[in-house]
Amino acid sequence: MQDLLYFSQQLINGLTIGSTYALIAIGYTMVYGIIGMINFAHGEIYMIGAYTALIAITGLATLGVAWLPVILIVALVCAMIVSSAMGWAVERVAYRPVRGRHRLIPLISAIGMSIFLQNYVHLAQGSRNIGFPSLIEGSFRFGSSEGFQMSLSYIQITIFVTTLICMTGLALFISRSRTGRACRAVSQDLGMANLLGIDTNRIISATFVIGAALAAVAGLLLGMYYGSVDPLFGFIAGLKAFTAAVLGGIGSIPGAMLGGLILGVGESMTSGYLSGEYKDVISFSLLILILLFKPTGLLGKPEVEKI
Amino acid sequence: MAAKNFGHAFFCAFITLIISYPIIGFNLEAQGIDVTLTGADTTTIVLVLLAALVVFLFQLFRDQIMGALKRVPMPSSDANKEPMAENKRAKIESWILTGIVVFALFWPFFVSRGSVDLATLVLIYIMLALGLNVVVGLAGLLDLGYVAFYAVGAYTFALLSQYLGISFWLALPIGALLAALFGLVLGFPVLRLRGDYLAIVTLGFGEIIRILLNNWTTLTGGPNGIGGIPDPTLFGMEFGRRIKEEGNTSFHETFGIAYSGEHKVIFLYLISLVLAVFTALVIRRFMRMPVGRAWEALREDEIASRSLGLSRTAVKLSAFTIGAFFAGFAGTVFASKQGFISPESFVFLESAIILAIVVLGGMGSQIGVVLAAIAVTILPELAREFSEYRMLIFGAAMVLMMVWRPQGLMPMRRIHIELEKQE
Amino acid sequence: MKTPVKKLVTAIGASIAVMGAGHAAAEIQIGIAGPMTGPVAQYGDMQFAGARMAIEQINANGGVMGEELVAVEYDDVCDPKQAVTVANNMVNDGVRFVIGHLCSSSTQPASDIYEDEGILMITPASTSPEITERGYELVFRTIGLDSMQGPVAANHLASLNPERVAVIHDKQQYGEGIATAVRDTLTDKGIEVAMFEGITAGDKDFSSLVTKLKQADVDYVYYGGYHPELGLILRQAGQAGLDATFMGPEGVGNKDINTIAGDAAEGLLVTLPPSFDKKEENQELVKAFTDKGEDPSGPFVLTSYTAVQLVAEGIEAADSKDPFEVADALRAGTFQTPIGTVEYDKAGDMESFEFVVYEWHSDGSKTPVN
Repeated sequence: MQDLLYFSQQLINGLTIGSTYALIAIGYTMVYGIIGMINFAHGEIYMIGAYTALIAITGLATLGVAWLPVILIVALVCAMIVSSAMGWAVERVAYRPVRGRHRLIPLISAIGMSIFLQNYVHLAQGSRNIGFPSLIEGSFRFGSSEGFQMSLSYIQITIFVTTLICMTGLALFISRSRTGRACRAVSQDLGMANLLGIDTNRIISATFVIGAALAAVAGLLLGMYYGSVDPLFGFIAGLKAFTAAVLGGIGSIPGAMLGGLILGVGESMTSGYLSGEYKDVISFSLLILILLFKPTGLLGKPEVEKI
Repeated sequence: MAAKNFGHAFFCAFITLIISYPIIGFNLEAQGIDVTLTGADTTTIVLVLLAALVVFLFQLFRDQIMGALKRVPMPSSDANKEPMAENKRAKIESWILTGIVVFALFWPFFVSRGSVDLATLVLIYIMLALGLNVVVGLAGLLDLGYVAFYAVGAYTFALLSQYLGISFWLALPIGALLAALFGLVLGFPVLRLRGDYLAIVTLGFGEIIRILLNNWTTLTGGPNGIGGIPDPTLFGMEFGRRIKEEGNTSFHETFGIAYSGEHKVIFLYLISLVLAVFTALVIRRFMRMPVGRAWEALREDEIASRSLGLSRTAVKLSAFTIGAFFAGFAGTVFASKQGFISPESFVFLESAIILAIVVLGGMGSQIGVVLAAIAVTILPELAREFSEYRMLIFGAAMVLMMVWRPQGLMPMRRIHIELEKQE
Repeated sequence: MKTPVKKLVTAIGASIAVMGAGHAAAEIQIGIAGPMTGPVAQYGDMQFAGARMAIEQINANGGVMGEELVAVEYDDVCDPKQAVTVANNMVNDGVRFVIGHLCSSSTQPASDIYEDEGILMITPASTSPEITERGYELVFRTIGLDSMQGPVAANHLASLNPERVAVIHDKQQYGEGIATAVRDTLTDKGIEVAMFEGITAGDKDFSSLVTKLKQADVDYVYYGGYHPELGLILRQAGQAGLDATFMGPEGVGNKDINTIAGDAAEGLLVTLPPSFDKKEENQELVKAFTDKGEDPSGPFVLTSYTAVQLVAEGIEAADSKDPFEVADALRAGTFQTPIGTVEYDKAGDMESFEFVVYEWHSDGSKTPVN
């Protein structure tokens, strides 16, 4: 019983982290699906989302607003607006001018952008870790008070539910809406979509904006869940989310969800049953192995090299 | 048209405000136990507004500005000039290079110790950048974990000297070969991956190696690093005040001159100089050899090269291994110069800096890479204030270079031979 | 925007000082090396403030052997590479006495050069035992060692009769060093160390670790490392309902931990050097700092002040400016300083450096235990 509770607790921890990885991974996977490049700066956009949310929350606290739903909604909206604008600007400045050139060029441009954004926030806000208020406190407890007690906190539930809503919304958007259909058309064949009268530039911009908005949601949720932000934490989270995207099959949205959950649970089990020291080694090794043996991931479609 | 331009310009300025004002205009500060929000001072806010205005004006008059820029004649435009004869140009270039090396040989005797030490660091970066240039610039393989091979070289020397007492000169080839072996072993499975996947995998490898160095406390000392790494000796002569190892003599006693700490620094500098020149010459050779041409061919068009019978794996692997070899070289020199190494010298940021050097210098171009290495290392030393903004500027420069001049500041010129003109 | 300008002015000031130092003869240069920029610049500020104050006061009282002390400041960004460059610049500029460096990983490679070149170094902040373990003649410090702080913490934990203790560290030189000392002392005392594990510095998710601690049913957790990670662990432990008391070294004892952990910081135990600025006999000095608008309460301000004072008194005692003779004088003498009575052993460590156990509160204040 004890062991089962312990296992379930680690599973819950893993699923919580995993679902936020999935939210960030959407940004990688959509961009890759459409223009075939890795948006290295996506992790930084997530970090900026978290910072904006914190700025909004602190600002509201200074103004004396104390009603939780207002704080959450305002923080979420601010974070999404700033992150989306950032996503749009990044695409416009760093990626659009180099689109269609040699593969290496957009990639280096993306790395440059990532370094730039990291240091932009670092210079503007300092390198200190800043505490993030938890806002949603409390939890359900299971198990006897004597032995191991499993806890499922409200914030964890919030994270699951929000992720689920976002994912369902996105899936509906992609499959039903006009823009969504255009997105799919562009990812199938950019040139052809262009010929058929789809404004491809607009669709690509939309992809960046959607990915950035979801990353901002993850930024707010994870900020509350973990408890602090610093300018460097976007990079490693971005790398993990990218791993999740590759794991699930890059270009596939359900794949990103699946990959995120697998990676989150994998990490949590590694630190739960082995040691936290090798947590990152496990996820990087997982990434390398997947890329070597099944580069299309779990749900991805095999890609034919076109001549 | 004007209305559309205006709308677009307004939108761009608005976006600029959104992405800069919240982050720059408000500062989160920890005051005691609370986090408070303070507005930035007026100058900052004015600057943000000014930036938005500049974006607005630029977008509004975009067509005119771009048009004007195009009309300005490019000063170094090669199109109008008759290119200098290839053999003549090569001759001038080699004379200049020889001149620079000779100057670099004598220069340390006239300047301060601090400058010589800094110059040694620059030379180490030159070696690293030349090595990475083979991988990224010539073969077109984006390696984001290059620092791993640098670490292998440094740790090889540190461990060999600690456990076996092996000297610098023996460790130098061992370290480089071991790093090359690592490159070979790691490269073999990953090189069939496409460019962007390769970048991620190498990044992962770099991090794994660093984490292993940090966690394997019994062998590497973990985060405590390894200290007491010996300096290079000159035919068994040590440069320290006191002799550390049995059987060695000291440099100043052998020659009957007064002890000076400068000897050691200059000696290290000269070793690095020789190794850097060696690196440059070897790579230059490779570039003229069939394998060097194969690197570039594969970079330009993989499918065409393969159909012409080039072995993709062999060609890529050779570039990867050679790059790793020189990283190992640089690592050994670095360990010897520092006397103490720990995993924190081998973080991803270091890989990014080396990559920035290669990109700024012009991928593939040796002179460009050397100049970029000098600029990137020395500028932060000259202007301390600049060092805060260093990475910001690197990031921006990498993006701008890719957008405007992906070939770099000093683009590479392919080495070729011109036939005599027939009468 | 304000600080960069200020820093620029300091930088220019420092370089002018460097240039000027070459010419004047009747003065003694004191090199101060530490981070002025970079992520740990706030600790560097403490070091510079303390050393500047000491130099100012000593000069106001007539200097050393009739000569003025001149501060020459260097920025090493706490980067081992730059520390070596700084050390070489010191040699260049003819500095014979160095106060610094701050980070142990910078101090160690720099001290190799100082020892070789006959420069006396006193670090006011580096706590790694290895720095003084190598039999160097010219290396001293005015701060305790990780290996001293660990046993103090472990003894305190042992006195609380714990059933099971977990020891966690951040896999960095400082944190792992102290954590290892704590574990060893606890094991010697026959207390069960249920867990000894590293985490990744910079990580944010500790939910798995906290679950593991809960499963191990520990009543005390010792954490070797800095406040950003411990703050998160405390907070996530509070959320998951882990009922254990945490303890950490001076690296966690700073008000930033409250902004991260909030109420969960209540009851945290911290080993700290005694607050020198609260001591009766230091009040005059504390006033001098506050008059200048500086905060004397940081952990390295008065250790740095003391380091300069020791150099000055060492020179007086040796009646010579030769670093080797000054080093001998420092080993032989007993000195009264703001951080207490200083006596050195052969290695260059203080014979005794006291650590006190404090209880930390959620409002950022602390009270001494027992």
